[in-house]
Amino acid sequence: MSRPQRWDAPFGPDMTDAAVDRLLARPEFATIRAGRFPSHAPLREILRHDTRLVRFKAGDLVVREGDYGSSAFVILSGTLRVVLTPGLPRELLGRRPARRRGWWQSLAQLWRSRRIPEVRDTPRAAPVTRASDGDTTMLRRVFLQDVPAILDAHKTAVLTEGALFGELAALGRVPRTATMFAETDAELLEIRWQGLREIRRFDEGWRRTIDEHYRANALRAHLRATPLLANLDGPAIEQLTEHTLFETYGTFDWHVSYKRLHEEPAAAAAHEPLIARQGEHPDGLLLIRAGFARVTAKLGNGQRTLIYLGAGDHYGIDELYAAWQTGQPAALETSLTAVGYVDVLRVPTHILEKNVFPQIPPPPRRFAAAAARPLAADGLLEWLVDERLINGTRAMLIDLDRCTRCDDCVRACGATHGGNPRFLRAGATRDHWMVTHACMHCADPVCMIGCPTGAIHRAEHGGVVVINDDTCVGCGTCANSCPYDNIVMSVIRDARGAVLLDAADREPILKATKCDLCEGQLAGPACVRACPHDALQRVDFRDLAAFGKPS
Amino acid sequence: MNTPARKTALPWVLLASGVLLFLLPWFWSRHLHAHLGRPALVTGWWLFAVMVFLCGFNARKRLAMLPLGSASAWLAWHVTGGFLTLALFWLHTRSLWPRGLYEQALAGLFYLLNFSGIVGWILQRAYPRMLTGSGVEIIYERIPAEVARLRGGAEAVVLACTRATGSDTLARHYLETLDWFFRRPRFFASHALSGGRKARAWLRQQCAAVRLYLNDAERAHLNRLTALAERKLEIDFHHAAQSLMKRWLLLHLPLAAAVMLLALWHVFLVCVYAL
Repeated sequence: MSRPQRWDAPFGPDMTDAAVDRLLARPEFATIRAGRFPSHAPLREILRHDTRLVRFKAGDLVVREGDYGSSAFVILSGTLRVVLTPGLPRELLGRRPARRRGWWQSLAQLWRSRRIPEVRDTPRAAPVTRASDGDTTMLRRVFLQDVPAILDAHKTAVLTEGALFGELAALGRVPRTATMFAETDAELLEIRWQGLREIRRFDEGWRRTIDEHYRANALRAHLRATPLLANLDGPAIEQLTEHTLFETYGTFDWHVSYKRLHEEPAAAAAHEPLIARQGEHPDGLLLIRAGFARVTAKLGNGQRTLIYLGAGDHYGIDELYAAWQTGQPAALETSLTAVGYVDVLRVPTHILEKNVFPQIPPPPRRFAAAAARPLAADGLLEWLVDERLINGTRAMLIDLDRCTRCDDCVRACGATHGGNPRFLRAGATRDHWMVTHACMHCADPVCMIGCPTGAIHRAEHGGVVVINDDTCVGCGTCANSCPYDNIVMSVIRDARGAVLLDAADREPILKATKCDLCEGQLAGPACVRACPHDALQRVDFRDLAAFGKPS
Repeated sequence: MNTPARKTALPWVLLASGVLLFLLPWFWSRHLHAHLGRPALVTGWWLFAVMVFLCGFNARKRLAMLPLGSASAWLAWHVTGGFLTLALFWLHTRSLWPRGLYEQALAGLFYLLNFSGIVGWILQRAYPRMLTGSGVEIIYERIPAEVARLRGGAEAVVLACTRATGSDTLARHYLETLDWFFRRPRFFASHALSGGRKARAWLRQQCAAVRLYLNDAERAHLNRLTALAERKLEIDFHHAAQSLMKRWLLLHLPLAAAVMLLALWHVFLVCVYAL
C-alpha cells in the first residue's frame, strides 16, 4: 500500500487537462507566474486537484449568509447577486424559522410524542431543493423561486465574470457575511481552502487581492474589537490595519485528522504546527482571529499546557512590552502551537512600539498564574485541549459523582423532541466528569462546512447550531464532519412506523439529528432542568473558571 | 440572588420551611384542642395536602417541557416534605401506631413509603461516587451486551490457550467455575452491600487455585483471563448499583400510589361519617 498523498482525492472529478488549460488562459490565472510555485505544488496541479467547476441555474443560492465554508469562488460566466443588508428571510435560505412554543403547545408534546421513533410528517420530509439531474457539477441545493420579486424587495449588488468571493470565510474560518445567488445561469470555479492558501502564498497578485479584501472589510473592526487595542486612537488603528500580516496554521479540516489521531493524545500534540517557539525572538503580537492555539512551556522533558487561546485572544505582548520598556532583546517565555486550525494576525513589533505601547498600560503577565498552579491541576486542561473539547460552548457536562444514572435527562430530552432523545449519555470521561455525546454548539462548528442546503446553521439568536429538518437531504456530511460523533443520521418513518424510502432508489431517507438545546421550547434545555441531583450542566469551555460549578 | 448563593441558602430555606410547616398546624391544633375543636381535621388535611405536593414531583418529571422549576429543587422540597409528613403523621395520629385495622394498614404502608424514600435517597448519595471510583462507565441497558462481549473474550482466551499449549487445564477450570461467573452479572448482594469484596475474594481464589497447575505460557493466558474477569467485576458492580438506584423507585412509586388511595378513602370516610 502506498502512503496517501495530498491529491489522492481531487476536489472535483471533471478537471481535465482541457479544463485546466481553459482556466490558465483566463485573465485571473494568466497573470500568475507559475514559476514561483514550488515543484511539489505547481499551479497547474493546484488547479487540477484543488478546484472544481460548478454550475448554477438562475435562482440557485451560491452561498448563504452565516454559512461556514471551506472554499472560495471565481465567476467564470454569468452574473451573481449579493444581497446587501438586510439579508434574505431565513426561510428562503433553508433555515428553520425561529418559533417559540406557548404553554399549550409545550404541554401538547405530552400526547403528541410517538412511540415509533423518528416519525415525520410525510409531505414535509421532502426538502425544497433542486436535484443535480445527473450533472456532477450541479450539486443538490436550495434555490430561490421568485428572483424578480427578491430583486424588487431587497437591495443587491451585481457580481460579474472574474469576481473572486468567499475567500475570507474560506481562509479565516468565519461565517459567510452575505448571501449570493445566481441571477443568470452561471459557471463558477470553486477553489478549496488548501489550493487558495497555496495560490495566495505564491502569487503576489492574489495575495494582494485577498489581503485588500480583508483589510477593507473586516480587519479594522477586528482590531477595534480586541480589548487590548480598543482604546487606541484612529491613526494608530489605521497603522495597524495597514501593516498587519495574515497567517494560517494547521489544517482547515482538522476534524478529519483529529478522528485519526485522538486515540493517541501524544501523537496529536506532536502534530500541532508550531507558531512560536519558547526562547526565540518574537517578531510581532499575534492576535487569534479564529480557531484555537495552545500555549505551552518546557517542563522537565515535556511541554506543559498553560492555557489555550481562542478567537479574540493575543500572544506575545508580555515579552514585547517588557523588551520595549527595558531596551533588552525579547525572548518568548512560552511556545504557541495550532490546535487544529488557527487563523492569526501578526502585528509587527515596530508598529506596536510606535503606535500601541505608548498608549496602553503595562499588560498583565497572563501566563504566570497558569505556570504557578500545581502540576496536578494540569490534567483537566490537557484533557480538554487534547480531546478538542475546548471547542464546546454549550457542552453537556455530567458530574458522575452526583449522577445516579437515572436517565431523567434522556427522558426529558425525548419528551421535548417527539419521543426521540437527541443525545447519548456516554462520552469522554475524566476523573468524575463526563462530556456526553450531545452537540456542544462549537465555537468552530466544522459540521456546518459543506452542508449542501444550509440545513445545519446557527440559530438566529444565541449561536445555537440547529438543523432544519425540512431542508436536510440526509447526505451525512455534518455527521461525518463532527469530530465528536454528536450528530446521528436517523432513518425516518411515517405515522404507522414504515421506513420512508426515496422514490428514486428505494433507499431509506435519512435525517441528521442532534441536540438543539431545546430551541423553541418554553423553558430552555430540558436535560439541565430534569436532573434531580444537579449533576448535569451545559458549559462553555472557553470559561474554564466556571468549570464544574453548578449552572 | 445569584445561583451559587441560592444553592447555599437552599438547605436553610428548606429547614426553616419544614419547621414552619410543622409548627403552624401544631399551634393550630393546640388552639383547637383547647377550644374543644377537632384538631385531627386540621392536621389530617394539612398532611394530605403535603402528600399531594409530594406526588407532584412525579408529575413534574413527566412535564419536562414546562417551566415548572428544576427537578433538583423539586427533589429538595420532596425530601423535606417527606420528613415533614412523618412529623405531621405523628401529630395527626398522636401515636406511632394507630388503632384500627384500616388505619394500621395505612400507617404500615406510610412507614414503608417513607422508609423506601430514605433508603433510595441514601443509595443515590452513596453509589454515584462508588461507580465513578470503579473507573468504568457503562449505560445500564448495555450491560448484557458488555457481559456477552467479555464472555466471548474469555472463551476465546481459553480456546487460544488450549490450542497454543495443548493443555486443557485452564479450559477445565474455566468450565468448572469461571464459565458460571461470565454467564451473567453475579454477586449482586456482595456488590450492593460491600462494593464486591466477596466477589473479588472469590475471583482471586479461583485464579490462584488454577495457577499452581499452569506453566508460563498458560499463565500468560490466565493473566488475560483475569483482566477480563476484573473488568467483569466492575460491570457487575455497575449492574448491582444501577439496578438498585433504578429499582427502588419500583417500590416507592407503587407504595405512594397505595398510600394515596388509602388516604383518599380515609378522607372520604371521614367526610361522610365523621362530620
